[in-house]
Amino acid sequence: MVDPSEKRKEVKKKLRKLEGLPTLPPIVQKLNQMIEDERTSLNQIAELIEKDQVITTKVLRLANSAFYGFPRKVSTVQQAMMLLGVNVLRILIMTSSIFEIIHREDVGLWEHSVGVAACAKILAEHLDVKDPQEITTAGLLHDLGKVVEKVAFKEDYEEILRLVAEGVEPLEAEKRVLGLNHAEIGAFLMSQWNIPERLIEAVLAHHNFDLTKKYKKESALLHLADFLVHARGYGETLHKRVPPLNESAIKILKISIPEIKEVLFRLEPRLYELKFFTEELKREFTAQ
Amino acid sequence: MQRLPISYIKPGMRTYEEVVDSQGRVLCGKGVELTEEMLKRFQELGVSYITVEGTPVKLPWEKTLEEELELLEERFRDTKNDFALQVKEVIKELLMEKFSKK
Repeated sequence: MVDPSEKRKEVKKKLRKLEGLPTLPPIVQKLNQMIEDERTSLNQIAELIEKDQVITTKVLRLANSAFYGFPRKVSTVQQAMMLLGVNVLRILIMTSSIFEIIHREDVGLWEHSVGVAACAKILAEHLDVKDPQEITTAGLLHDLGKVVEKVAFKEDYEEILRLVAEGVEPLEAEKRVLGLNHAEIGAFLMSQWNIPERLIEAVLAHHNFDLTKKYKKESALLHLADFLVHARGYGETLHKRVPPLNESAIKILKISIPEIKEVLFRLEPRLYELKFFTEELKREFTAQ
Repeated sequence: MQRLPISYIKPGMRTYEEVVDSQGRVLCGKGVELTEEMLKRFQELGVSYITVEGTPVKLPWEKTLEEELELLEERFRDTKNDFALQVKEVIKELLMEKFSKK
């Protein structure tokens, strides 16, 4: 039996060095510098992104996906920047390779993630939470830790799967094997990447609402979005049953059952678009 | 209810939601029976998806109402929380509505 706190240290060390994880696209470093430099204009940032055709294609595809649900087609980097904001665009560029890995390694988890993103967007708009685009992106990233387990901690992940098959609760299984769960791993990695704290806290607290401090509304929203997508049964995760719903999250959001009904009815058509989008990606990957 | 790429839509299907073009303009209301001319025009105006009533197209990944209801029960088997159980009832309503033929 490994000592959980020792294992936890080892996992964090590996994450700090990003061992076994996909490298960030080379454009990211330059992009970060430009965003931090107040003298840079948005146009200059857009020009830098446009020079990289692969990244531009990926970003526009994500911006046009049903989880953001913009009625207009986003056809240029400038438009994407206007609609999503520089911060979200930066996150999408940094994580574009991660999304490909999720899609390739675990299509069920990918579907769950895009479903939660779409649901988070609808909830954020319905509840008038500031910057719905950012919240949507938190939805996309909320299970990042699971992909990390799968690609960077393969043997440990096998062990987690074995425990879950024996009936151990998934979060408990992660904790036993790695000393921390996927929400903690995801949040830790996001902090290494300098992603806004608001998103990190929401990801960290999506299974344990007590961990939220400053961004209670965002955390509650992501918790509910995750629950609703599990409840609807879109995508697949280690949770074969719906994860527990935290009542304090519902109280913070002040959301009623009729409102949830409205949200789910708005989500359902989006899920069709996401399914077609996923099928399209599958075809592209097999063609490659 | 199904939301389908416009290439799947056939004349005679009825809209479940408004039809919106790529600029966000509403082209057609709910509950309208679609004609060949309308579909042609929608295509020209850059409509990519249309939500129609019922489940007119058989999609390889789509489950039947019975399967959906069974899986829903299974997912909520261990749930005792009252609010969560009310969410389950809402999903049941959604499924009944989604599969209803009008």
